[in-house]
Amino acid sequence: MSKVREKVLFAFLGIPTAICLGVFFWLASVLLSGFGTIKWNLLTASVLNGGYLEMIVGSAYLLLGAAGIASPVGVLAAIYLVEYAPRGRLTRVIDQAINNLAGVPSIVIGLFGYTFFCRQLGLGISLAAGWFTLSLMMIPIVIRGTEEAVRMVPNAFKEAALALGASKWRTVRSITAPSAAPGIITSILLGIARVAGETAAILFTSCVLVTRGLPKSPFEPVMALAFNLFVKIVALGESPDKVFGIAFILFLMVISLAAAATAFRIYYRRRQPWLK
Amino acid sequence: MGFRKRGMSHFLKRLKAEPVEVILFLCASSSIIFLFLMLLFIAKEGAQAFLTFGINFIIGSVWETNLDLYGAFPLIYGSLMVVAGAVVIAVPLGVVTAIFIAEVLPFSFRDLIKSLIELLASVPSIIYGFVGLLFIAPQVARLFGISSGTVALTASIVLAIMSIPTIVGVSGEVIAAVPRDFKDAALALGATKWQTIKSVVIPTAKSGILASIMLGFGRAIGETVAVLMVAGNVALIPTPPWNYLSPVYPLTATIAMQMGEAAVGSLEYSALFGLGMILFIVTFIVNTLADAIVKRESKFRSGVK
Amino acid sequence: MSKKANKGISTIAAIAGMLSLLIIGLVAGYYVNAITAGNQTSEFEEDSSWRTASITLSGSTTVLPIANASAIAMMNKYSGVTITVQGGGSGVGYSNIIDGVVDIGMASRDPKTTEITSAQSKGVNLWLHPIALDAVCVVVHPSVANSSHSLNLTLQDVGKIFAGIFTYWDEVEAGLPHQPIVIVVREPGSGTRGTFEEYTMHPWNYNVTTSASVQPSNPAVRTKIETTPYSIGYVSFGFLSDSMHVVSLAKEAGKPYVYPTISSIAKGEYPISRYLYLITNGQPKSGSLADRFIDFVRSKEGQQIVEANGYLKLPYVYPAS
Repeated sequence: MSKVREKVLFAFLGIPTAICLGVFFWLASVLLSGFGTIKWNLLTASVLNGGYLEMIVGSAYLLLGAAGIASPVGVLAAIYLVEYAPRGRLTRVIDQAINNLAGVPSIVIGLFGYTFFCRQLGLGISLAAGWFTLSLMMIPIVIRGTEEAVRMVPNAFKEAALALGASKWRTVRSITAPSAAPGIITSILLGIARVAGETAAILFTSCVLVTRGLPKSPFEPVMALAFNLFVKIVALGESPDKVFGIAFILFLMVISLAAAATAFRIYYRRRQPWLK
Repeated sequence: MGFRKRGMSHFLKRLKAEPVEVILFLCASSSIIFLFLMLLFIAKEGAQAFLTFGINFIIGSVWETNLDLYGAFPLIYGSLMVVAGAVVIAVPLGVVTAIFIAEVLPFSFRDLIKSLIELLASVPSIIYGFVGLLFIAPQVARLFGISSGTVALTASIVLAIMSIPTIVGVSGEVIAAVPRDFKDAALALGATKWQTIKSVVIPTAKSGILASIMLGFGRAIGETVAVLMVAGNVALIPTPPWNYLSPVYPLTATIAMQMGEAAVGSLEYSALFGLGMILFIVTFIVNTLADAIVKRESKFRSGVK
Repeated sequence: MSKKANKGISTIAAIAGMLSLLIIGLVAGYYVNAITAGNQTSEFEEDSSWRTASITLSGSTTVLPIANASAIAMMNKYSGVTITVQGGGSGVGYSNIIDGVVDIGMASRDPKTTEITSAQSKGVNLWLHPIALDAVCVVVHPSVANSSHSLNLTLQDVGKIFAGIFTYWDEVEAGLPHQPIVIVVREPGSGTRGTFEEYTMHPWNYNVTTSASVQPSNPAVRTKIETTPYSIGYVSFGFLSDSMHVVSLAKEAGKPYVYPTISSIAKGEYPISRYLYLITNGQPKSGSLADRFIDFVRSKEGQQIVEANGYLKLPYVYPAS
């Protein structure tokens, strides 16, 4: 096969890639086309005055709480799996369970959250029930990201600490975890980005259409961007142009979180010579 | 892994030496605990539907809330139909894109393009649904001359767009994991780059690519909000059954739409958890199989190395 | 840069990141509560505990837009009250009232016998407060009938069409085109479909023909009818348009054919109509927030919200002109 023919062939292979990128830019341009129509003052106006403020802050509350639960659990689990777990059947089962938890459809997580957190544990439709439900989706993401980050810490670092007589936990605390911190933070940010637009999981567990202000305790329900967008389109049948602002802000929020995570990762990989 | 101790007795010994390990272990096993609780509670709530309808809950063809009759077959069929359509669209696009990025694209572009496609994965599904409803459905309606564009085909297109990043991501990793030596050997023997891709890279990464497709399938069958907004939501098997221009009512959409309507403890409520149970089991099996393929593959490869 | 310094930076970055997120959250929270809370000075001598009370509503999605707009209007009017609105469906509206989970339920249908017995066994007194009227209107594409050749049907005729007993338009009435009837219905579980079938199908044990095209919402049915020649379907009164012909209905042969208008629906002459309800357990305590909310929805201001959402205001609160 001649060089020229191969070049032509590769050009053809590039078409699907171009399509994928085209879809991305199309999506962005579609949403950005609404940029001009958005009334920015609505961002800081209360829902009671037709604004989005409680939904935006409510979404942030949901995400911060979920991250607060998922981060310690996920990070400690990953440290166990990389540094402590013996190679045996139990470890393999745990490993498999993490993958399977990551694969559970969000609507099933939502069903479980409703029957377990809202009803069985008596949390009702509340912020707290939403935190637990969303954290179930974040934990596998945080574990996988942290595992990768911890594995990338050179063994020489750890061995040096151990050789100096540090205990294993001491080594993890003062050498491994700090060295892996950027990777851990990236994984937490990615976890937040992944559930930021999640609708199915909070549909029955933590949100209401309208109330006054923000929840004053974790046991009160909350308004959130994704939920309100869903209810306004599907149940209230509001015309799409009326809810465009919510859709755009949600898109912006999630994309900037994900982009921040990626940028953070790239930046720290450059700064840390042992990470290629 | 220089200092990893092996065996159960070492494990117990260390447990005494470092009690913090108990906490770490509990965190790690939380995934098992939650999976188990999920299975338990969803099965508990869904039991009534399975007991009332028996096998007809799965193969019955009438899903009619007004009559309190719940046969999930049209919903299962709807899910499979939409996902099959999505796989047909997404797999060729996704796999070729992954190969292109890993083997053809100049190194400097790789990270940028990969990051952009990864960003696609984080776009919330309600945004895909919104865009699908607003822009894709009307185009489908215009193109095929049907009055409403919220049909199985539209749902398949939206789902395909959503699963491409998963397929590209996982296939990309598998392709990147094909040992350099393999490729260098082929190139040294005088093979062109294309011949190397065709006869070395693809065959070596074959089962990993298959796993990525299965993971994409698992993701797609559980997708809820986007599908709900564009699938039309009609609990009937299309006539003829391969008619992609008729509305369908996938499992996930049914749960999300009717859960609000169902009184707690009613037969309808139980039937919706029954659907959740079906979804849970199907995705569990698909994910476990995909993992098994990836694991077998990596074991095989480390053996070769 | 040394590795140690690097580690220090990343740890500090991590802590700073988390802290700033926390601070942003807290500041935003204070800000939101400050702009939504308003003043709560009690200038009134009367029992003013309702002015700081909270209630929760859940139930029918048909009533949801009315409840949503009313709750926002009332919270803007009285700066201390909190009214929380959840979705659900009519079934949830009833079951939540029976279980005592919410203060006010919403429903777009009368309670089923099972719901009444369940309420009785728990000592709950279902109290229905009508807040609006709705009519289900039968509509056809202008190719079937138009303003100069209007279409009149009895409820049983409508049932026969939707059951597939009539398949060509000229079987329904001589002079109509010899064309197959295209049937458009709502999805199973829809309240509009339930009301429609209760009046046109159930009395004769008819079932909707499987050849019917199923649409998920009122606007979707309207679009389908407007664009499909020889089609027939049904929509809520608020969704009628000029590009469809609205059928006049008679309860049975020999009775007058009634065209759905605000007046004919309000007088109960149009045969397929329903009330939208707020539900409470017993009559709410006079002067309580629940009582005042229901009064608000039935006041002139609340009834304007009802009309703005495409439903009919209550005839006996403000009689139709």
